[in-house]
Amino acid sequence: MTMKRALTILLCTLVLTALAVAQGDLLGKANQKYRDGDLKGARTLVDEAVADQVLARSPELWVLRGFIYKDLCKDAKGEEADVLRDEALASLYTAVVTDSTKQYTESSVPAYYYLAKTMYNDAAHALNDQDPARAIGLYDKYGEALRRMAPDTVITERDIEFGNALGTVYVKLYAQDRKRQERYDQAVDTYKRVLALDSSNYGANYNLATLYYNRGVYNIQLITADNDIPSIQQIQEVSREFFTLALPYMLKAHRMRPDRKETILGLEGIHYSLQDDEQSRHYRHLYEELEHDERKEKGQ
Amino acid sequence: MKIRIFPFSVGRNTHPAGRTALWRMVSVLLLLLTSVLFGGAAQREPDKDTTAIIQASYIYNIAKLVEWREPALRRGPFVIGVLGSGNLYQELVKKYATRSIGKQPIEVRKLPETQEVDRCHILFVPEEDRALLPGIMKQANARSTLVITDFPDALASGSVVNFVTAKNTLKYEISVVNANKQNIDVGLTLKQLADRVVE
Repeated sequence: MTMKRALTILLCTLVLTALAVAQGDLLGKANQKYRDGDLKGARTLVDEAVADQVLARSPELWVLRGFIYKDLCKDAKGEEADVLRDEALASLYTAVVTDSTKQYTESSVPAYYYLAKTMYNDAAHALNDQDPARAIGLYDKYGEALRRMAPDTVITERDIEFGNALGTVYVKLYAQDRKRQERYDQAVDTYKRVLALDSSNYGANYNLATLYYNRGVYNIQLITADNDIPSIQQIQEVSREFFTLALPYMLKAHRMRPDRKETILGLEGIHYSLQDDEQSRHYRHLYEELEHDERKEKGQ
Repeated sequence: MKIRIFPFSVGRNTHPAGRTALWRMVSVLLLLLTSVLFGGAAQREPDKDTTAIIQASYIYNIAKLVEWREPALRRGPFVIGVLGSGNLYQELVKKYATRSIGKQPIEVRKLPETQEVDRCHILFVPEEDRALLPGIMKQANARSTLVITDFPDALASGSVVNFVTAKNTLKYEISVVNANKQNIDVGLTLKQLADRVVE
């Protein structure tokens, strides 16, 4: 090795070492700011570090970035919080996949799942606020987040719970403004999707039956003094379709839980509206028997 | 270089509410839906009584398509009497009591369940009072009264219009013979739209 070549290697080594120190310093500073609670400062530095190709391969950077964004998300609201959470999740995921020695798994994986669960909870809050679009968006992202980390993840039970709650929100929105036909359609579609996942779901069967039944009743309630006899007959035919649609779902719910009064009442109402007095009386009798038994049990 | 992550507690990562919160919400909504939609079976709410709503609409339309020959019944209020069936009475009051038949303002009366009924243009006798029908028909006050019923074989007992079920819908049958006995002219439209006409 010539002297010149040896000097070149030494020079390169010195430059690389200086660079590494500078890079490390950037991460160190970001970490220090994070530990000091200066989340905005930490964010600026960590984003700067991400732009560096060498640092971008290190899991440490992504873990730190994930935690910085996660904590920033806690103080943010609305869309800003959503964006910060998405960034945090993406960073923590990158940390996990780049962490070949699983050195940071204990921190990154729980933090990732924590954030995913906050999306689920926020979806539930959005349903409480009767904001189905936001709820669906958050719930979809929740599922995607789980599957990204573990592609085999199955959340059918959660899908069913969410679907039932979502359907009920659509029903409430439809009840508030019956002119918004799309809310009715969305409710029907939602319950049908739940039943596609679990045809024996009591809530979806009962709610779908109720939805159809009420649509038929509402149609009849709209009759006014302006309706002539042919239109009364047409209205009845349309309502009959809804009552007929309601019947099998209510029957299924009733067979699943024969002691539930609401399905007995539902069947009584459906048969009454279908002008089937015999069946209507049968379920009325059943309901009265149940009430009698309940009173007896309570000692009244 | 290693980065130590300090300010992170796993406790803060626990799922704040999760499944329980959503389930609680679903349960509350489900209960709400139940109570709002079906009410109690002991007494059907008037606005959920689809049969009463349809019967009331038919009665109003029948009133418009029939003529009373007796001059005394062509003036004054147009009286619709209802025996029993509170929901039908309520529906008639709610939607039709402010209307008129020709120039005669409609008056809806809930009648006591006896054979001694007020003089009415139209009298509705429900199935639970079917035993009263023969007695009612013998009363002088029933003269020129269009009796409407909702039970089998009512036309044979003097009823002019009887509600019947056809293909899970409510329709009516009409007896022109009984109408003639009561000095009532039944319009062609009413006959044409009937499920059955006895002439």
